[in-house]
Amino acid sequence: MNLRKIASKRSTKFLILLIASLLISAASAEIYFSMFAQSAVTITGAPVVFVLGSDAPAGSTLGSNGTWVSLALAAYPNVTLTYGDPLNISNTDASNSHQFRLRPVSITPSSGASVGNFTSINFNVENATGASQANVTYTVSSNTWNTPSATGYLTIPPSTQWIISVSTEAVAGASSGNTENIQISVDVIQ
Amino acid sequence: MLGGKLGIMVQLLPELFALIGINVFLVLSLLTYLLKSRFPKILPYVYNIAAIVGLGYLVIDKLLYVAYGEEYTRLWCSFAYLVVALTNVVAVNFYVAAVKRSWTIAGVWLGAVTLPSILISAFFISEYSLMQGGVFLPASQVGLLVLGSTLGMELIASLSLNRAKLLQRGKEVK
Repeated sequence: MNLRKIASKRSTKFLILLIASLLISAASAEIYFSMFAQSAVTITGAPVVFVLGSDAPAGSTLGSNGTWVSLALAAYPNVTLTYGDPLNISNTDASNSHQFRLRPVSITPSSGASVGNFTSINFNVENATGASQANVTYTVSSNTWNTPSATGYLTIPPSTQWIISVSTEAVAGASSGNTENIQISVDVIQ
Repeated sequence: MLGGKLGIMVQLLPELFALIGINVFLVLSLLTYLLKSRFPKILPYVYNIAAIVGLGYLVIDKLLYVAYGEEYTRLWCSFAYLVVALTNVVAVNFYVAAVKRSWTIAGVWLGAVTLPSILISAFFISEYSLMQGGVFLPASQVGLLVLGSTLGMELIASLSLNRAKLLQRGKEVK
């Protein structure tokens, strides 16, 4: 009976020690993991940036760090106006290629009588040799813009500039002063 | 407008050494309790308290880390804690062998606790040093490996000796 009591007392003490050990071990691992999960975020320059081309229209603006650009494009009635080199996409990374795509975000106004003055607006991505890689083309039907889908992802080699050429066209007899605001996002995979 | 993905760099933190040290103390606590006839009664609780001290250090360290992001002090505090824990493992091993003259237990302890603890620590020290660009001197890493190898050879010798004695006497050598 006494031996049983002693054994039971020893087991209880060991159990307490074991539970305390497990708790300490789990708590320390949890603290370590919480430190581990605190990632550091360092600011670096974007590897793929915009650069204004040799054919950039007057009034165009390149944002600081080359991460946004505003192009002031024109459209003439009954004629296709092409900007051969208004804007470049530059991969400044000297050692890695990157993937990017053009993704239409918005066009305003998207419908109405003023929209009927336009025929189409085309954004074409050309590689360094001038070969077309993909395009985003807005067309008008029944005074409403048909919004195109995003391009597939394109791979731009290291230290390379590609061109985004733009073609615009307005209908014959189009009224002057009608303006469309188009926003296109360039999604880059790091 | 440009979009992108956020990259996260994965690396070992210096607190890893404290974490290993805490676990070493906990193992010591449990083993010395199980073999309590050979150790002072208070020893398991002392080791448990040592582990709690390590946990407290981690808590304080986390607060300091968040506040200052200082790495040098964190590294050496954690490393010192691990060294203390490993020293205790070796000391207990020595105590069992030299003071208590329990050669079988000392041999098993060497193979099951001392040697793995030192080799695991050496591995993580080496990994950490590689990631952080040579924080620890190559000599210290080589020293740890030599220590581990020496202990390994001692273990083999110890087990061989015990086996021979067991064969001779037909019972455990104490």
